[in-house]
This record gives sequence, C-alpha cells and structure tokens, in this order.
Amino acid sequence: MNRTAKAIVTVVLLATLGGAVFFALRGTQQEQLANGQNPTLRLPGLRGMQTVELSGVIALDVEPFFKDSRVTKVLIDNGFKLNVTRIGSRDMAQRVVQAGGPDFMFPSGIVAANQILEAAKRVNQTGTQYTPFYTPMVIASWKPIAGILQANGLATPLTGGAFSVDLAKLVALMQAKTRWKDMKASTAFDVNKSVLVSTTDVRKSNSGAMYLALAAYALNNNELPGDRATAEQVAKKAADLFKRQGYQENYVNGNFDDYVAIGIGKTPMAFIYENQMIAFALSKPVAAEMTLLYPNPTIVNKVVFVAMNERSKRLGELLTTNAELLNIGLEYGFRTSDGAAFLQKAQAAKLGVDEKLNHLIDPPSFETMSLMIDVVTREMSQ
Amino acid sequence: MNQTAGVALAAIMTPLEQPSFAPRAAPMKVRAKVRAWCSMALAITCATLLAACGKSPDPTPIPTPKVAVAEKTSTDATLAILATTDLRDISPLEAMVLKATGVTLRFSFGGTMESTEQVLTGKTKADVAWFANAKYLLSDPQGQAKVKLQEKIMLSPIVVGVSESEVARLGWTDASKVTWKTVMEGARSGKLKYALSNPATSNQGYMALVGVVAAVSQKAEALTAADIDRKAVADFLKGYKLVGDNSTYLSEKFIEQQGVYVNAFINYESWLLSMNQSGKLKEPLRLFYPREGIATADYPFMLLNEAKRGEYQKVVDYLKGEEAQSWLARTTLRRPVNSAAASAATFPTATLVELPFSPDRGLADGLIDAYLNEFRKPIASTFVLDTSGSMNGGTRRTDLINALHSVAGADSSLTGRLARLSSRERIWMLPFAELVGAPTYFEIPVATAADAQKKADALGNVRDYATALKMQGGTALYDAIYDAVVLMNREQAKNRQYQYSVIAFTDGENNKGRDLNQFKIDYAALPEDARAIPVFTVAFGEASEAALKEVSKLSGGKSFDARKMPLSAVFKEIRAYQ
Repeated sequence: MNRTAKAIVTVVLLATLGGAVFFALRGTQQEQLANGQNPTLRLPGLRGMQTVELSGVIALDVEPFFKDSRVTKVLIDNGFKLNVTRIGSRDMAQRVVQAGGPDFMFPSGIVAANQILEAAKRVNQTGTQYTPFYTPMVIASWKPIAGILQANGLATPLTGGAFSVDLAKLVALMQAKTRWKDMKASTAFDVNKSVLVSTTDVRKSNSGAMYLALAAYALNNNELPGDRATAEQVAKKAADLFKRQGYQENYVNGNFDDYVAIGIGKTPMAFIYENQMIAFALSKPVAAEMTLLYPNPTIVNKVVFVAMNERSKRLGELLTTNAELLNIGLEYGFRTSDGAAFLQKAQAAKLGVDEKLNHLIDPPSFETMSLMIDVVTREMSQ
Repeated sequence: MNQTAGVALAAIMTPLEQPSFAPRAAPMKVRAKVRAWCSMALAITCATLLAACGKSPDPTPIPTPKVAVAEKTSTDATLAILATTDLRDISPLEAMVLKATGVTLRFSFGGTMESTEQVLTGKTKADVAWFANAKYLLSDPQGQAKVKLQEKIMLSPIVVGVSESEVARLGWTDASKVTWKTVMEGARSGKLKYALSNPATSNQGYMALVGVVAAVSQKAEALTAADIDRKAVADFLKGYKLVGDNSTYLSEKFIEQQGVYVNAFINYESWLLSMNQSGKLKEPLRLFYPREGIATADYPFMLLNEAKRGEYQKVVDYLKGEEAQSWLARTTLRRPVNSAAASAATFPTATLVELPFSPDRGLADGLIDAYLNEFRKPIASTFVLDTSGSMNGGTRRTDLINALHSVAGADSSLTGRLARLSSRERIWMLPFAELVGAPTYFEIPVATAADAQKKADALGNVRDYATALKMQGGTALYDAIYDAVVLMNREQAKNRQYQYSVIAFTDGENNKGRDLNQFKIDYAALPEDARAIPVFTVAFGEASEAALKEVSKLSGGKSFDARKMPLSAVFKEIRAYQ
C-alpha cells in the first residue's frame, strides 16, 4: 500500500471511529459520549435521596483518590456508598458480564476503558465513559541524563526546569543500540548500558501500551499505523525496545518505584504518568537531580470512568463536575480543564512541567492497540 | 485464646530476637515451636470464626452492635507468608505488625527457586509470598496470574565482602574499578576464596553467575542463553570454597573459616553489614559493589489469596509506613523504599548501575544446568543406608527406595534437577544392619549429546540397586557412619577434585557395634581432613533425633527429619549444602 493510500485509510479510520475513541484533548472535564448514551443526564435534588450503593473495580492509579477521606465525604454527601476493589486495568474487561457485574469500572487509561466498552458490547451491555482527569505520559529522569541528551541534540530545556525530548530522535538512537558511554559529553553517566527508556510490562499495563503507541508513531515516520499490516510491521520493530530492557515490572507503580527508590543506576529514564511524579513531589521532597522529560510529541492519558448502568452514571457525572473532587484530583497530580490550578500544584511540588503540551498525538484505536500489543507479546516470548 | 497466644508470642520473641546478628540461629528453633503451637491455635480459631461469619473477611468491617465482636474479628486476622530464607531476620516485625494492624503473620521459609516453584505450581497454601527477588516468578505468565497485588518493601543489593586484610593483596584498592570480571579474575588466580549461596537454589548465587556472564560479555542489555561464557563461569567458580543453602548456615561457617579457607562473602549488602556489626568476624569485611553489575533485591510483598486482600492491604500500608521502614533500615540494614525513613540508617550513596534482569528461561536453565553438571566441584558421597529389619515397618522401605529412585530419576522441575544426581558425580552405597556391608560404587558420566545413553544407564543402575535392598537385623549405625567417613577420607587423599560428604539414612537407635560415646572418641582421633567431611543425617521411624544431630554437628553437617518433610525434599536440601 502506498503512502497516499495509507493516509486515506488513516483519515477514514479516524473519521469512522470518531468521537467514541479519539478525543479532543482539551476540555476533558466534559463527559465522553459512548454508544450513543447521553451522559449529561442530570438528576435533580440529591438531598433526602436514598443512598445508592455501588460496587466497582478500580485501577491502582485512582485508588489513593478513592481512599481519600475527603472524597468519601463528598460521595456520602451526594448519596453514594461505594464498595471498590482494586484490580489490573487490563483484567477489567473480563469482569464485564451480562448481569451482576460491577456497577462501574475505573481503569488507568483510555485503552483499557475502550476494551471494557468492547466487552460490554459483546454481552449487549452499554458502558458510558466520563473523563474527570487526564495526565500526559512523561519520562522521569535525572539532570545529568537530560544534560547528556541536550549535548547530543535530543533535548531542549523548557522554562521551569523540565526538558522536551525529541521522540523521533530518541527512538532512532535506541534502535541504533547506542550505549550511554558512546554519547557525546557522557562523563556523568558513562556506562556500558544501552540507552533505553524503562517501562512497565506492555502485556500488563496501560502505560506500557502508551509507550508502544509513541514508539509506533515514531517508527512509522511520525504517523500512527493506519492499517493492520503497517501496525504489525511497526510493532515488530518496537518490540525490540521492550525486549532489550529485560524484565519489566508488571504493576503500574513498579517502574516509578524503581526510579524513586533505586535511582539513576536502575532507571536513568522511566516512562510514567506525569501525575505519579507530581503526587510524589507534593508529599515528599524531590531529589535535586530529578527532572521530567516531555516526549515531543507525547500522548495524554485520560483517566476514564466507565459507568456500566444507569445508577452509576450519576457518579460519573459527579466526578466530572464536582469542584471539590476535581480539586482533590489535582492534589493527586492529575490535570483538569483548569490549567492554572494545575500549574499552581506543580509549583508547590517544586517541579518543572510542560504547561502547554503543544504537540500531542491521539492514542491508536483499541483494535490497532491490541493488535500491536499482541505482536509485541509474541515477539517477547520468543 | 488466639489473642493470648499472640501476646505470648510477642513477649517471647522480643527479648530473643535482638537486632544483633549472632543470636539468630538458636532462638529460631524455640520460636518455631512457639509459632507452630500458635498457628495450630490460630487455625482452629480461624476455622471456627470463618464458619461463623460464612465468608472471607471484607476490608470494610461489617458494622455490628457489639464493639467487642468487631475487635475480635480484626485481632484474629492472619496472613500466612511464604518467604525466602534471607528474610528470617525480620521476625521481630511480627509483633510490630500485630500491634499496629491486628494481623498475625505466620511465616514459612524456603529458598528462592523452591519458593518460586511452590507458587508457580500452586502448591503453597500461603496467602502472601515475600521474596527477595520475585522476577523469576513474575517473568512467567503463569506466575503473574498467581500474584494479585504486589508492593516492594525494601532494597538490598548483592555485593562482595572481602576481609579487610586481603583487599590490598587482591589489588582492589580502588573500589570503583571492581567489576564481576575482577571478581572472576580474583577467583581464577586463587586469591579470592568466597562463600556464596548455591546458584541453583538461591537468588544471590544465581545473580552472581549472571553478573560474571554480563561483565565478561560486555553486553549492553538483557542477556540471553547465547551469552554464557563457560570459561568465565568456570574460572569464577574456582573461588567457590564455601557452599550452602542459606545465609544463616553460611554465616556460621564463614565465622569459623574466615582467614583459613575463605576470605570473601558474596551476599546481600544488608547481611554483610549485619555481620560486620555483629562483632563475630575475625576481621570486618569491606564491601565492593561490582561496577555496572548490581542486582538489587527489592522484596515485593505479593498477595496470592484474594480472600486476604483486606489484611494484605493493612500490612502493606504498615510495612511501607515510616515506623516499619525505619525499623527495617536500622535493624536489618536493608534500604528503605520510603524516603521518609532515609535518616534511620546511612548507606553508601554511590550510583549503583543495575544489571538488567533477563527473563530468558533459557539463560536460567543453561546457567543452572551448566553449574550443576559442568562447573561446580563434583560431588562424591557415601550414602549410608539403614537396612535393618525395622526398615520393613510402615512405608519406610518404600520411602527410602522411592527417594533413591527420584534422586536417580528425571525430575525436571526447577528444584528437581538440583536433587538429581549430576554428571561427574561419584556415589558409594554403604548398607548396614547387624554389620556394615560392602560399599557399591557408581559414577555418573558426563552426558554428551551423542552419548546421553551412558548417563541414563548409570542412573538406571542406581535405581536397580535401590529396588534390590533387603532389610533385616540390628542397627550398627555408628560403625557404618565411621566407616563411611574413613572411606571418603581415603578417596579424598587420592583425588581432591571432589566435594566429599556422607549422608546417613536411618530409622533406629544404634543397637550394634560402637555406641555414641565410642564413636565420638574414635571420630576425634581421625585426621583433621576426615573430620572436615560433613555428615548429613536423615531420620525416620524411631530414630533419635538428638543423637543424630550430635553426629552431624560434630562434622559440620546438618540433620534432617524425614518424618517432617518428604525424603525427596530432604535430598534437595542436602544437595544444596554439598
């Protein structure tokens, strides 16, 4: 297939999948439409209402938020009593059943949320997505590393202390199996290791999948793979970036835990959610050498609440509109539609961030993403 | 009753399990008994309780009118934990966890490989697995599926401790230059003589081999089976002078042998720092962190039993909190993961560049098989077999025969291949009853690809020998052990390339030949070489454990009780010490 044809397919796919899968990245406070449901349904007069008991499965990312006593209070005040269980995001789709399944699911990202919708369709159920928060994918790194990347023309400093890193150049450098000690001006980290970004296991985690999406974009000449053949071919190339890392942590905080606790010697560059770093920095002092690298382009991860029935839609509504809840979300490092409020938090955390996120790409469709994950899984088990 | 037991346990534990390094070994036994008793009590209470409540405990306690009932529910909570043996030193934490969370921890311990297998195969009944390194488990999809939740609790890198006075002789004055290759070269030259846990059973041992392979290959990323440099591994193993299965045993031996047979100890930083603090060493160890070759144990605490999620969460929150983290850092000298506890102890701050962990099963299989069949000092041992009449009782005869069959069989599990007789191994079967019989000799040839049949035939001969054993007459146990030691000593004089030992299997009190006192007198008169050959004893039936313990202790061996664990498991354990 030639380039023009691919471009056409991409456009067609984009158009077909439309708003259900691809999102405008701003204004995330608005609810997402899915399966033609109207999420803006508003129930009047909560006071005096009977308490609604809801059961849900949530990802580790949102657990601290749900456990927060202030959140519990807002929920109680609004007539909710929740019984939540933490499970892996990718395991959530398996919990979708004809009847008697959880009332809601709160996975760590859009890929898993879309997977849940797919599973719901198969059993003639409908899921409704709401996106209260979002957070960009970033690379948690160290100033000496950023310095080496800068000296080699890969990174540029942003105002405030963070860095922008050229995704295409970084991927090319990693594909070429460059070692840290072979880089220019690398005395600060002149080790024999290959330059590689560490990730969580792509087979198990949303953030791993986001990295795969970015790598695929870079390896496909800065566009998302538009057809199955391209997706397969690109994923095969990208598999190397996972395989060469050796063992990858298979729970969401594993990679970030290593970054914080073990440090530069284990994870010179760790692919994480921005909010992990901000939440950490808001509660504990950040080591002087820690810094964030923003891939250019990067992907924004939407924290998507999926209501599985009418009763839980009102909770989705509350999460996306209640000012207090949104403010608590900010404390967990998430971004909301209120950019200034987020910046304030980042400053309080003494962290340089990329405020504008000028260059973002959309995550691929659920189908493309799962195809690429399958290819990488197959490559990795060989 | 359970509450009382818990308090009693705490009271007993605290004074015994002080932070210091030395008193660990002895109190463990006392505590193990207390714990066994407590867990029995607990099991009964829990069973009753579960029957009463109907279902597994919920993280949110069900509100009940009586507060006392709710409290009882929380104090009766238990977590059965399968932990790697190097975690034995965290026992005092049990009392702290109980106090803070109301959850009683019940530990059982095993080597890394053995414990990994227990979880993989679903054999363990534990609610939680707590391993120094769970990457063996978690790189397997089957293993991943068993683990519901995980949190890293603390860190300790694997390092090389060298007796201070030997550092200059090794030429290791610039610590930053020391790599696993340097370590391998030290071993090759004969200057470095180290203690290390068995590479086929332990994380430390295995990761040390990986470190050497990585350093020699200069590979910039995760290793594969093709990267194994056999010569480098063989050279590194030339310095492997003190073999054992767990750190407690190795430490005791190291204290005895430091400066004589060994001058280095490869283990976790925490363990070596603790040894330095204990004051038991002849001289302190200087710690070397192999450049670009660090493997850090990260101690993930992993939920296996979904029904225990509530208890698990409580315990994890406590373990990651400042109090427990500070205690762990200060007392066990492991590095905390919570930076709030950073001031509790100071650790070297140099950047430690980690080795990527390779999930390649081919690498693990290749290294471990090569270690057992090619590189390690081959084993030469005498199996002292009780063929007295009482061995016909119960299932004893069949048990013994089955155990010998499995040793000479083809158990290909992760730990099975350790128990198996390996290439180059020499075995003398020495049966005894009224009198000591004649030894029968077997040698297991190296199985080359072209000639695998020879090895299979030799193993078949061992199995046939076992099948033909006849049991009859009295028990001349000490005569047999004495003869076996003399036999091994004679062989040792002829060929020093083997690791010699004696393994005695018996079900009875000695009633023929020498008695224990006479044995001790005669044994003491043996040359030093002979007395350095470890005697392992395996008791079943009515055997007197105390007497057998004394014999094994005299020789620096270990006694096992086949009444408490299956003979095949006993074999696996013995072989880790050989």
